[in-house]
Order: sequence, then C-alpha cells, then structure tokens
Amino acid sequence: MHYGPGGPALGRLSMDRVKTGVVGLDTMLTGGLLPARPYVVSGPTGSGKTILALHFLLEGLRQQEPCLLVTLDEPPIEVKANMATFGWNLDRLKILDATPDIRAHKRQRSVIDVGTSLDVRDMEDVTEIRQSSQIRALEVTVHSVQKMIKQEFLHHLERTKQRYKRVVIDSMTALKMFAMQGQDSRILIQSFVRFLAELEATTLIISERLNKKILETEFFLARGEVRLHKWIDGSVIRRAISIDKFRGSSFDDRMHPISIGDNGMVVYLDAPAQTRVSSPAPKPGESLLETRLIDEVSNVIESIMRHIEDAHRRQVPIRDIEVSLSRAMLAFQRRNYQKAMKLALACDAEVRERLAQAPPPPPTSQLPRPPQVIR
Amino acid sequence: MLHGGYVPGRPYIVSGPPGAGKTILAMQFLREGLEGGERCLFVALEEPPNELKINMRGFRWNLDDLDVLDANSDIRRFEPTPILEISTEEEPAKMRAIGERIRKTPDFESKEVTVHSLQQLLKNLFLKRNYERVVIDSMTALKYFCMREFEETVTTQSFMRYLAESKVTSLLTLELPEEGEVPPEAFLARGELRLHKLRDETGIKRFLSVEKYKGSSHDESVYPFEITNAGIVINMAPMAATAH
Repeated sequence: MHYGPGGPALGRLSMDRVKTGVVGLDTMLTGGLLPARPYVVSGPTGSGKTILALHFLLEGLRQQEPCLLVTLDEPPIEVKANMATFGWNLDRLKILDATPDIRAHKRQRSVIDVGTSLDVRDMEDVTEIRQSSQIRALEVTVHSVQKMIKQEFLHHLERTKQRYKRVVIDSMTALKMFAMQGQDSRILIQSFVRFLAELEATTLIISERLNKKILETEFFLARGEVRLHKWIDGSVIRRAISIDKFRGSSFDDRMHPISIGDNGMVVYLDAPAQTRVSSPAPKPGESLLETRLIDEVSNVIESIMRHIEDAHRRQVPIRDIEVSLSRAMLAFQRRNYQKAMKLALACDAEVRERLAQAPPPPPTSQLPRPPQVIR
Repeated sequence: MLHGGYVPGRPYIVSGPPGAGKTILAMQFLREGLEGGERCLFVALEEPPNELKINMRGFRWNLDDLDVLDANSDIRRFEPTPILEISTEEEPAKMRAIGERIRKTPDFESKEVTVHSLQQLLKNLFLKRNYERVVIDSMTALKYFCMREFEETVTTQSFMRYLAESKVTSLLTLELPEEGEVPPEAFLARGELRLHKLRDETGIKRFLSVEKYKGSSHDESVYPFEITNAGIVINMAPMAATAH
C-alpha cells in the first residue's frame, strides 16, 4: 500500500470520513471519502455502479443523514423495484425524478424546463411511473437539473433545518447524452461539478467511461474515482473494484474482487488479486454485428414512432407505450443495443396490438395527397 | 534527473493521467522555492483552495507563505445576464489565510475566468510581486474551461509565450488520457516531466520520465516513484524500458 498525502496522519481522523457503506471499500479508502466533495463512480454497464451508490445512500440514512438521489437514468419505480430484491429499506430516501419525458425526444417547441415542475418524493411514495404530460413535456438540461437540485436543497433546509449530506447523480452519462448535445459540454460539466462542490454534500457522480482515449471532464475534476470492473473470463463474469484517484488521502491501490449478491456488494480484500490480463480486443465479426444491430433497432424505433403518430391521429391512448419507448431510446443512446432492441420490440408489439384493437382509422381522403409530379 | 534542476525563467510541463501525482509534484516545486525564500504563486483552476489546503496538510509542509490564486470559475448563469470576467484586481490569498469551506458563488453575479483575463491578472501580479516560481494547475482546465474551442491552439501558444517572456519559472500541469495521444500543449513547453501510472496485481505503479528538456542534457531513463508522507520520492535505480 502506498501512503499518499496525509496517509496515517489523516487516517486517524476517521471520524471525518464519509463511509460508503461497502465494508471493504471503506477499508480501501482508509476509512471513507473526504466530506463535502464530488467523486466519480465509473464502470461499464451492469458493473454495479448504482448498487454502490445505493449502499452509500443507505449508509447515510442509517446515520440519520438526509440523502438525495437524483435519477436521470431509471424512473424511481424501477429503482425501487431493483432495490426490493436486496430487501433494503430506502423509504426515507428523497428521490428527485429527472428522467426525461418521451416528448422531449421529439424536440417540440412546447417543451418546458423540468425546473418548473419539481418532482421530489420519498421513496415510499413511489408507486407508479410519472406520466408524460399531454400538453407539456419535461426536457432535461443541465440547467434544469441544477435548478431542481438547488430548489430541493432550499426546500429541505426550510422544512427540516438540515442540509443534505449525501447526493447521488445517476448518471452523468445520461445527463450528457440528453442535455448537452451541441453545447460546450466541458464548461457545463465544470459548472455542474462546481455547483455540486458548493452544495457541500458528499456527492457520487455515476459515469460510464465511454472512451479511454478521451479525457472526460468529470473524471479529472472529481476529487476521486472508484472504478468498477467487469469482464468475461471463459464462461464466468468477473467483477472487481479499484480506486484510481483519491485526492488528499492515502488509499489501497490494488484491485480487489467483488461480488453482487443478496446483500448487495461485497469486496473481498484478502482474495487473491486477480487482474485482467489485457482488455480483450473486439473480435473482427463483433463490430459488424453491432452495426447491424444498430440498424435494426433504429428501424424498429422508427416504425414505433410511425405507429405512435397514427395512434395520436386516431386518439388511441398510448402514453404508457411512449414511456417505454423513451426507455428503449435511452438504452439505445447509451449504446446498450441489446437492451434497446428488447425494449423496442416489446413496444412495437404493444403498439400494434393497441392499434388493432382500436376502432378503424378515419377515412384517409381527409389527408392532403402528396404533390404529384406531372411529366 | 534534470542534471541539477530546471533552467530558471522558463515554462515546463508536468503531465500525467488523473491521480498520478501532478499536483503533489508541483507543490513540492513551490515548497522548495519557499524554503529558499522565493516568492511563489499557485494558480488553482481545478480544485478549490480550501480543499487543496486540506489535501496538503498530511505532508506537514510549511506552505503558509504560498500565494494561492483561486481561478476556479463560478457556477455559470444560464439567464442572459452579463457575465463578469475575473477581475484583474483579484488578489491571491496566503495559504495560511485560506478557510475550511468552499467559496460560494454569489447570488447575482458569476465570476468567469477566461484565458485573457487570467493573463492580464498574472501580468499585474508579476509586476507587483516579482514571483520566482509559478504553478498553473492545470493547463487542461485552462484549455477546457477558459478558452473558446476554435482558438485553443493559438491561445495556448500565446499563453505559453507570455509565460516564457515573463521570466518566471513556471510549472504547468497537464492531464493525460489513460490511453492515446498526448495533447499538443506538451510540445510547446521547454521541457516535459511525464508521470506514468500502471496497474498490476500489486496495485498502482508510478513512474516518472523526462520527455523533453531543451537547453540541458538530461536523463533518458524511466524511474519508479512513490507518493509517501514526505511527498514524491523517486527511486533513483533506473528501470530499463518500462512504460511505453
């Protein structure tokens, strides 16, 4: 173990540390994270980032600290369902639903900021998915998310005279994909990280590292990075955890295996350190398959969009399908094509069935005919 | 490794991936100056000074007399209000005077740091205080957050030229991605110290190499180093052909 700045010296003041709630990880961090700073949790899809973040929130609740989960990726109802499998009681967790509405994808002019309709609930009140509003849709922008968090901080301070101690942003990847297209994302992220630091809560920012060759802003601005690893070894999935950066503290810099089971995440500090020999290079056929999958998913999504428009014309209620479509599009944008395909196909089947059951369409003659070319 | 140290009055780069130890190395460079009674300035673009102070506490270095300039931009305003550039009258704070908590963005105005305002500010400070050592932490933050994207290269060049003309020995930290190409700033400096971070079964291994050093002979090998309670400690037994 290398002793970084303040190694044993700061290690003694473990009261000043913010425990993550994952036992082995706290040991690796020589007691926990340093308070009031933003950190990044990174790793590929399905490596356990959200579970780690929920451990962190659960630990906060156990210590009677106010905790806030800002979810951009999964609607709260799904977070709740996923957590039910661990039997964790997160009822006192405040959850800020910033998942974008379906209409925001269509880039309509009538979209409004999320900030104007703040939706913060206790986890126990989460019973159904938020419906996209018919007349207005919530568009998620960095600004609106920032405004939502700020409002919620102030409200909470007013109501309870307490500040939020722990915040989780799940995820930065979604925020970047939804909210920063065509904008100077570096400056927006810098401002957002600054905003999080000024909240003086310990923050976990969940972020997928999409490309190792690009230096992503949140990674060098964050005061530390906990990295989750997942790779396939023969026929088994292996998982591991490592700390790649931790300002102002010493840390255990080895990679340790982890498992995700009924009790959540467990770090095996004593297990033989097993590192991936090298990242497996993609097989030649793989990229071709992926391109084909992308094409197919986009075809399905386009077809669903056509059906949805049709359904709107015929006034068939399909709002729930729009919501599930937005999930498919999210998965697509996050390059999780397999999942996107699955969701999209389900949507497609559903929308077709709904249309088949609905009364026949109005006579098409009412629609303007396409202009005809006269030769 | 540098055969005696830096040639004074020139800009140098310390590069490496996040978590390699760049800020610590830069701090050691300033501490060395402070011990020799030199005037030193740390320009913080990545980290708020209050955190920097806490982070350096563990080393028990006496940095009380270090001037720290907080050049972190505030939270951006999204409303169409006029943005204030960082004032050219801004003063650095002595390390000993820095508080425990982060500076808060005021409610009605946001300070924005641009490369032009920072350069002007440094010009005034250099005139007034005769700094001998300056650290810009980091050049990457300056490039990412304080320049317009289309003029990055030109602006970086002119900033480096300005530092060279100002006769101050300056150390610029530069973030490197974990893989892939080195950003162009590295080629503009008079010398580059590169920190490498490799992971194996026993943890993170750190190495240091002199990539370029104009106007002096230098060591070509790669040395392992560790971050200890006393800062960066280089193991002078050279390693043959490790990183790269």
